[in-house]
Amino acid sequence: MDYDPMIMDDAEALGPVVKISQADSVRVKWELSNTDISFANSLRRVMLAEIPTIAIDLVEIEENSSVLADEFIAHRLGLIPLNAEGIDSLLYSRDCDCDGCCEHCSVRLILHAKCTGDENMHVFARDLVPTGDRINQVLGTPIINDSEGLGPLILKLRPGQEIKLECIAKKGIAKEHAKWAPSAAIGFEYDPHNKLHHLDLWYESDPKAEWPPSEYAAWEEPPQEGEPFDYDAVPNRFYFNVETAGPLPPDVIISEGIKVLQQKLAGLIHELADEGGDGGVNGDGYNGGGPRSPEYGAGAGMDGFNGGYTTPFGGAAAGNQSAWGGAGGATAYGTTPYGAGSSWS
Amino acid sequence: MAKPKVKKDESATAAEPASDVVMDEAPTSHQPENDDNMSVDPNENGEEGEEGDEIEDEEEEEEEVQRVRLLPGSTPTAASFEFLNEGHTLGNALRPDVEFCAYAIPHPSENKMNVRIQTFEGTTAIEALQKGLRDLQELCDVVTDKFIDARERFVAASAS
Repeated sequence: MDYDPMIMDDAEALGPVVKISQADSVRVKWELSNTDISFANSLRRVMLAEIPTIAIDLVEIEENSSVLADEFIAHRLGLIPLNAEGIDSLLYSRDCDCDGCCEHCSVRLILHAKCTGDENMHVFARDLVPTGDRINQVLGTPIINDSEGLGPLILKLRPGQEIKLECIAKKGIAKEHAKWAPSAAIGFEYDPHNKLHHLDLWYESDPKAEWPPSEYAAWEEPPQEGEPFDYDAVPNRFYFNVETAGPLPPDVIISEGIKVLQQKLAGLIHELADEGGDGGVNGDGYNGGGPRSPEYGAGAGMDGFNGGYTTPFGGAAAGNQSAWGGAGGATAYGTTPYGAGSSWS
Repeated sequence: MAKPKVKKDESATAAEPASDVVMDEAPTSHQPENDDNMSVDPNENGEEGEEGDEIEDEEEEEEEVQRVRLLPGSTPTAASFEFLNEGHTLGNALRPDVEFCAYAIPHPSENKMNVRIQTFEGTTAIEALQKGLRDLQELCDVVTDKFIDARERFVAASAS
C-alpha cells in the first residue's frame, strides 16, 4: 500500500476521508474511508488500549468496618472513572523523580464516611474528595454524569459502620489494566452487505431474512442480483462508534488515539535514525542466539533444516557464540532437554 | 548487553560439567532476554566487589533498552527486525512499498514483534522500514486534519 500524501492533493476523494454522522457528549459515530483496514484497525486498537488516562492505583485503608473486604473495595475504587483532562502534563510515576508518588505524577483522593443515622447509607463516587496540589482543578475528579450528581455506588454502610481511606490515582494505559480504558466500547464495522464474504453468516433457511441489516446498510450499494464475487475487492469504508467511559470526551479519544499512534511511530523512527549509524540496529554487536533472519541467497553453514529459524538452544548453526548453546554443544546446556547440541546439522 | 552474555557463557562452560545443569539457570524464555538483569556474571562480581556491583546495577537500570534490532543473517536488501513492546497495532499497519513484507509475533507472552522486509534493488531494508514508518506518520497527520475538519463541519452544521 502506498500512503503517498502527494496524490491526495488532486481531489478530496483520493485521500482518507472522515465523516461524522452523529455525535454527543458520550459517543461519536464516524466513518473513515479511503484507507486500508490495517490502519483503521490500528486506530481502533490504540483507542481501546493505549490512550493514557488516570485511575486509582493504590489505596490505603485506615478504617473499614463495612461488610466488604478491603481488597474488594480497592478494586471497586480502581474502576471508578476519573477525569483525565490535562493528563498530558501528568507524568507516569515510573518516570517521575519522586520517591513513590507526588503531585507531578499522582492525584490523592480521600474517602471518609460513617453511617450515623438509622438507615443504611450509600457511599458514592462523589464522596471521593481530591486533596493536595493538582496539575489542574479537574484532573482526577470522579466523573459524575447522573442527574442526581452521585456517581457510581462504591459501597453501603449499616448504622455504625465506617470507611476511611486514602487513594492514589496514577496515570496508565488500558493495556496494563482495563481501568485505564478511556472508551467503554468502540464499534467497528465495514462492508455491511458482506460483499467481501469476510463473514460466513449462519442461517436456517435464508440469511437475508434472518440477519437484520446493519444501520450502515443504507450507506452502501446493496449487491446486485446475481452479481459475481469480486475477489479483488478490499474493504474501504470503516464505521466507528466511539463511546467514552467518561475520562475523556469521545472526540478527544479519537484525536488522542491518532496522537498515540504517531508517538509510537516517532519513537521508532527516532531510534532507527539514532542507532542506525553506530551498529546498534545492524546487529554487529549481537552474538547469535535467538531468532535469525532467514539466510537469503548463500546460507553459509546451514543445511535445509535450520535455514529458517535457529533456536537459541541447539548450537549447531553457524555463529556459535549464542548465549545458551555454545560451540558443538559443549556448554552446560548441551545435554539439557532444550537442545541436543550435536545433532541438527 | 552483548558482552556480558559471552562472558556468562564462558564461565558457565568452565564452571560446570555438561551433565550438571542447574535448572534455575536454564532460560525461562525461549529466547534469551535482551535486558537481562538476572544473569549475574560471577567474574565481574569477584573483581568489583559489592560497591561496584551496586553502581553497575544502577547504570543498567538507566540504560535505555534498544527497541529495534536487526536480526543476524540479514543482508542489506533482505532483513528481519525485532521490535520490543510492539504488536499487531504497529505490525499490521506498517506496509512499506517493497517486494515482501510480513510480521509475526513469535509468542504471545513475549512483547516482541518480528518484521521481515525484502526490497527491490535500489533501497535497503532499513530505508524501506524508515519510509514505511514515515508514511504511516504522514497518514496519521492527514487523518488528524481530516478529523478536525469533519468535527468543525459537524459542530457548525448542528449549531445552525
